Amino acid sequence: MTTSPTLPTFQAKDFKSDLKPIWCPGCGDFGVVQAIYRALSAVGRPPHEIAFVSGIGCSSRIPGYTTAYGFNSVHGRALPIAQGIKLANPDLLVLVAGGDGDGFSIGGGHVPHAIRRNMDLTYIVMDNQIYGLTKGQLSPTSPKGLKTVTSEYGSLEEAVNPLLYVLAYGANFVAQGTPADMAGLADIIERAIRYPGFSFVNVQSPCVTFGEEEQQVKAHRANMKTLASVGHDATSRIAAMDLAQQYGRTLHTGVFYENPTPPTTMDGLVRERQQAQVGEAKPRARVLERFIQK
Amino acid sequence: MEKTRSVDFGALTLKDALDLATLVEEEAKDRYEELGDQMEIHHNPEAATFFRWMRRIESKHEDQLAMRRAELFGTAPRTVRREMIFDIEAPEYDEARAAMTVREALGAALRSEEKAFAFFDAAVSQVRDAAVRALFEELRADEAEHQRLVQAEIDKLPPDPLVRADDEGDEPVAQ
Amino acid sequence: MSDLVIGMAGSGGDGIVSAGESLISSAAYEGYYAMMTKSFGSQVRGGESSCRVRLSTERVLNPGGTLDVAVALNWEDFLRFGAELPVSGSTVVIYESKTGVAPDKIPLVGVAPLEVFAVPIGDMAKQAAGSDKAKNTVVLGLISGWFGIPRAGILRGLAKKFARKGEELVKANEKAFELGEAFAREHPLATPRTLDPPTAGQGSKMLTDGNDMCAAASVVAGCEFFGGYPITPSTEIMQFYTREIWKYGGAVIQAEDEIAGVGAALGASFAGTKSMTATSGPGMSLKTEILGLATIAEIPLVVVNVQRGGPSTGLPTKPEQSDLFQAAFSAHGDVLRPVLAPTSVGDTFAVTVAAFNIAEHFQTPVILLSDQEVAQRKEVVDLIDTSRFEIEERRRPNATELENYARFRLTEDGISPISHPGMKGGNYQGAGIEHNEQGNPTASGKIHEKMNEKRFKKLQPLKHRKDLFRVEGNPNAPLALVSWGSIAGVAEEAYGRARAEGLDVKLMVPWLVYPIAEEVFRDFFASVKSGLVVESSYQGQFYRLLRMFTDVPGCVRSFCRSGANPIQPREIVTALRAAAVDLQHNVHQVASQD
Repeated sequence: MTTSPTLPTFQAKDFKSDLKPIWCPGCGDFGVVQAIYRALSAVGRPPHEIAFVSGIGCSSRIPGYTTAYGFNSVHGRALPIAQGIKLANPDLLVLVAGGDGDGFSIGGGHVPHAIRRNMDLTYIVMDNQIYGLTKGQLSPTSPKGLKTVTSEYGSLEEAVNPLLYVLAYGANFVAQGTPADMAGLADIIERAIRYPGFSFVNVQSPCVTFGEEEQQVKAHRANMKTLASVGHDATSRIAAMDLAQQYGRTLHTGVFYENPTPPTTMDGLVRERQQAQVGEAKPRARVLERFIQK
Repeated sequence: MEKTRSVDFGALTLKDALDLATLVEEEAKDRYEELGDQMEIHHNPEAATFFRWMRRIESKHEDQLAMRRAELFGTAPRTVRREMIFDIEAPEYDEARAAMTVREALGAALRSEEKAFAFFDAAVSQVRDAAVRALFEELRADEAEHQRLVQAEIDKLPPDPLVRADDEGDEPVAQ
Repeated sequence: MSDLVIGMAGSGGDGIVSAGESLISSAAYEGYYAMMTKSFGSQVRGGESSCRVRLSTERVLNPGGTLDVAVALNWEDFLRFGAELPVSGSTVVIYESKTGVAPDKIPLVGVAPLEVFAVPIGDMAKQAAGSDKAKNTVVLGLISGWFGIPRAGILRGLAKKFARKGEELVKANEKAFELGEAFAREHPLATPRTLDPPTAGQGSKMLTDGNDMCAAASVVAGCEFFGGYPITPSTEIMQFYTREIWKYGGAVIQAEDEIAGVGAALGASFAGTKSMTATSGPGMSLKTEILGLATIAEIPLVVVNVQRGGPSTGLPTKPEQSDLFQAAFSAHGDVLRPVLAPTSVGDTFAVTVAAFNIAEHFQTPVILLSDQEVAQRKEVVDLIDTSRFEIEERRRPNATELENYARFRLTEDGISPISHPGMKGGNYQGAGIEHNEQGNPTASGKIHEKMNEKRFKKLQPLKHRKDLFRVEGNPNAPLALVSWGSIAGVAEEAYGRARAEGLDVKLMVPWLVYPIAEEVFRDFFASVKSGLVVESSYQGQFYRLLRMFTDVPGCVRSFCRSGANPIQPREIVTALRAAAVDLQHNVHQVASQD
């Protein structure tokens, strides 16, 4: 695919569908989908070569607002479905998205395995620390002590730290963004898509209806710190894990970790194995011959 | 926050500057359209009407700039593109609320004009081409005028009632 | 003699199952038909193990009833298998004399076997191979010697098996075999029994099991993706894929759990690749939500459930047919999901191909409801001409249809052309949420009703697929025998015997077990006054399913029992006989269960 810097193959609007989002006005996800349009336009793959898989939740509506092939699946299962798509057709650009409940509660068991398989896909979590679609219950990333309709007297559980989790699981590209910085978010998502392997982007995407005031975009704009501004070395997993511990206290944006020597992806290894063995293929009709006792 | 990507203001030509300005208006127009749709989906016809009115205004500005560009430079290809700008005159998504009043919607529009003013004001100090500077100074003045107009609209409105739709409306619905 | 049923038991270390495998592969080589089932204690290694091998010059329908030959390397292990190794007055019993049990004191209560031989099996093995580990080979020699099973095939198999361990070991095993043969020669049977020579020639048969056959058939059907999680007794299907699928450009993923396995398979199919998963009951329970997604998103998918005893962990290594309700009904929402059941290793091939064709044609998940018996028993079956199978591909949109593409277009037959990522112009949103024709989400009850109608309507032609049912016998017979899954082989043998006795009975074996084909069964039951629905579950799930959807004549009753309690052909014949007598006396029992 050839792209010229001045005449892109696809404009951001080519990735915007006619479907009108039903998100609450003010929702952070509006910015996320804009950033995705821009990142996809920069990457330059046509919409029909993109598969965009999501789970269930407000944010999981997102594939429908793009012109890609979308799959708004079931709660927590976007990653397994996406991996099946990628192995079936490694030429596709595969995006996965969902909320913090989808990725770190009901679907939490799939994350480490998606990471260790390291297929070339990009997982965008819209983390709002709350269950919005079901009206404001605790989420896995809700801070301890948060009062919600399911934690009348304050939550008793520590929050999951998505950044620290995925770094510890061995993800080779880990970043965080916010719709308070659209340009930065679009850049991060573009880099994640371009990264050859599993890439993870945690987006602090506020819930305007059930979220706390200090979690809203205005607060982000006032408090966020770019990782560049703190002199972070994104080639060091340890440095990234160190900073990631401030999740929930300081909003760091940018790339936490990018393995400068990306290991071969599982889809790449599968392709190698297929190519190595294709010569042995007998016609399918002869597959039963192995059972004949001669 | 950075509002542009890959735009070298120092090297900006008049054609590029006109294109950039046109795109700024286009971006604002598209955003107002989206906000109008959001308000309609959330059954707030007053705010929807206002945002759509704003959309028409931004669309007119866009057309005027595009025409100027066409007169001067014909169909010479664009080198700046929409993907290079981020919310310059477009209201932030965060400005919208389902039950916002027209006064609040006007407030969002006012802040957008202020953002646009700040953008052109900063750009003026960076551009080298005299014609570009003149254009940006003109646009900056336009944005100041728009702020004044929006403020005048706000002043015409009675204060928001004590009781808001947020307070009286139905609870959100679980999905 | 055309048929010989051998049952053997020992400890895992005795290699008794390995002896069974030698027997069946030599039978396959010689051109016999055969069937072998294995049964184990719950230890992973070294527990008690047993096998049954049935050799025949005719097609073998089931593992057989009482044993013609019983081999006990140790009585404790043998007795643990109880009803699975039934000894009767026509059985020749061979056992290890070292057990110290006198031939007239063998611990089989109330049975007087035809002949009993105490054989110093261990000592003979030691003499031949310097270790009693060759006991299983001695047993092979004994059986070959007494029952005329051709020695060439067995020796050839042993040579192949031990070749890589060196010439010395091959020789030692030959010696052990010959000592067994010699013992048989020196102690001839009082009533000699010799298996007839095979009717078919060498190399005319395949030796395989249901799981391998299913996997092979799926490859022929064009499947190129498997996602799954190890679970007994289905895992061999995934193992086949990990060996074979790469060369066809396909892939397999051993997922982190059952849900991810079916999720990946569904994703692959969404991406345009024929795809499958395999599991057993507990895995099916976990996969259920994704199956609903496949139904509403109309994505082809074949899901194999190799049934075992349930509920929960149940009896992981024993067959049962108790997941039929689950296959048919486990879903939230209105779901119609085809369920196909193979009845033997041989027909697993055709049924698997049919499952893929139905999944692709109707854009639906299909459940292939196998069971432990079909899946894991070894069978010697006739070669299959794979070229006679037509392979269906999903209906993809043509250029005109792509112009104004609507993924879920309401067509006359309910089937809408399906695109996949990579296909320009076919972009759509797949979803578990209800959607309109374009695939966009909707909460409209009107559209939901229309889409439900579409998803049900498209499957109706399935019910008229006569090729998915086997009906035999006099169409006007008053007696009926209905059976499905692995137990159908037992029913078929009973059907043959009953007919031979002069009972006017007909047989129905459906491969399509859900949806119930109302018309097919209405026609079948039209002449029926009484009969049996034979199956291996406590509730008699197919019988109940039939009664739910068709008018089953009142005197047709359920003949069922829980898994791991084999039903014997003679029991069925007895019940049929009683039904015939009742009919003559016009005594109608009202069928009732519970």
